[in-house]
Amino acid sequence: MTNVNLIKKAIEWGTEKSPWIIHFNAGACNGCDIETIDSLTPRYDLERVGILKQGSPRHADILVCTGAVTLQTRDRLIQIYEQMSDPKFVIAIGTCACTGGIFEDCYCVTGGIDSVIPVDVYVPGCAVRPEAIISAVDKLLEKLKNAEKDENQQKNAEKIEEKTETAKNGEETAEQKEEPKNDA
Amino acid sequence: MISFLKMLLAAFIFPGFLFLSVYSLVLDFIDRKLYARMQNRVGPPWYQPVADFFKLIGKKTLIPVEANKMMFRIMPLVSLAAVAAAFLYVPVLGQDAVFSFDGDLIIVLYFLTVPPIAAFLAGWYSRGVYATIGATRILTQLFVYEVPLFISLLAPTLIAGTWSISELTAFYAAHPLYALINLPAAFAALISFQCKLERAPFDTPEAETEIVSGALVEYGGRLLAFFKMAHSCELVLVISLFSAVFLPFMTGYVFADFLLYIVKTLVILLLLTLMRVSMARLKINNVVSFCWKVLAPVALFQVVLNLVIRGSLQI
Ligand code: SF4
Repeated sequence: MTNVNLIKKAIEWGTEKSPWIIHFNAGACNGCDIETIDSLTPRYDLERVGILKQGSPRHADILVCTGAVTLQTRDRLIQIYEQMSDPKFVIAIGTCACTGGIFEDCYCVTGGIDSVIPVDVYVPGCAVRPEAIISAVDKLLEKLKNAEKDENQQKNAEKIEEKTETAKNGEETAEQKEEPKNDA
Repeated sequence: MISFLKMLLAAFIFPGFLFLSVYSLVLDFIDRKLYARMQNRVGPPWYQPVADFFKLIGKKTLIPVEANKMMFRIMPLVSLAAVAAAFLYVPVLGQDAVFSFDGDLIIVLYFLTVPPIAAFLAGWYSRGVYATIGATRILTQLFVYEVPLFISLLAPTLIAGTWSISELTAFYAAHPLYALINLPAAFAALISFQCKLERAPFDTPEAETEIVSGALVEYGGRLLAFFKMAHSCELVLVISLFSAVFLPFMTGYVFADFLLYIVKTLVILLLLTLMRVSMARLKINNVVSFCWKVLAPVALFQVVLNLVIRGSLQI
């Protein structure tokens, strides 16, 4: 039991410490792509926090997606998303990727990335600065950590509740219980 | 009974599988750090290879519908097993390997051809377009570097008169000056090892800017983790083999020899990393012509030289 927990913890820790990204252009004007590639250069050195750029979607954890989704790239975007193995995350880079931006309501555009696949972090900007992209990945990892913490807290709270219930056992059980938070 | 236990301990703990995997993580980290420092970057933290491994272990394994499921699952393990088995014949602690017999150099060389073939089969049976191209490139490269590699590793045996790695090391440790004769072969072997490890400038099979990531493009999750582990273990194996054959300088004390082993492996790693940083990727036709036109003649020259020396010294 403890072994399983230990391995689980190690995997959670690994997921936080080694986010591998894949970059996909869903129909950007190329401004955001240049900035995305820029943030991978030695100047910003993302390998410091374990970020590596992968070529294959099967190897990657985070889909870094730029641009509004055009009708032509829509199916490819879905395909690539489905080729990634769980747990997987999506970051939308640029105003176009968040909402459709200046391509909104264009005849060949379906809208932002979230009109096709679920998005975890939005980074607005036209074009986004590399610092913003790095901070987005950082936020995503923090969100992950908090989600794990919340889960643990929830489990602990449930355990404590169970214990108190069994302890009180028959006495006033109709006390007001705090509902476990559900931000995640 | 006790000797059997001792053998098990040697095979699985030290200097066997456990040592191999831990040291492979260490060398992997040092390699990446050196690479980063030479590019004027800070580089990854020390736990990066461990974190990558655990991350990959925890991911879901997806197998393409068209792939051959059994081959797809088995190949990473075959690769890892071959490397772990070969490592037992390479001396780490002093001059003696865990197991040794006359001819184990050949066995180790054959075990070393297993990981590329496993990668080829993995790519071939995952039936992706990029995977197939990567797989054929692996095979092309295998046929090319294997010749200079075999010749240059077998040349030192001509002087020593044995085909066992442990005895070879013992012979050259007793006559360190003879080891200097093998420098041309060491040069050829170092470059063919770089080619075997598919590191730049010979990373044509996994060229991520042209064919995504070669034969392993369909792999993900746990299976990819084992392939990566096999690859970094192969790095350790290759470096240890090189240091045993071409840098067989010993002090005679076990502990000092072990320290010396670590220093030697780090120096060789530095050379391999320098090669990786300073050169760009070759096209596959350039790899072929380089190996045939430069490396193979150098290795053959070494064979002739060693035969002449052996004849004139009457060893
Ligand atoms: S947000 Fe601006 S820079 Fe980025 S893709 Fe859209 S128009 Fe181009």
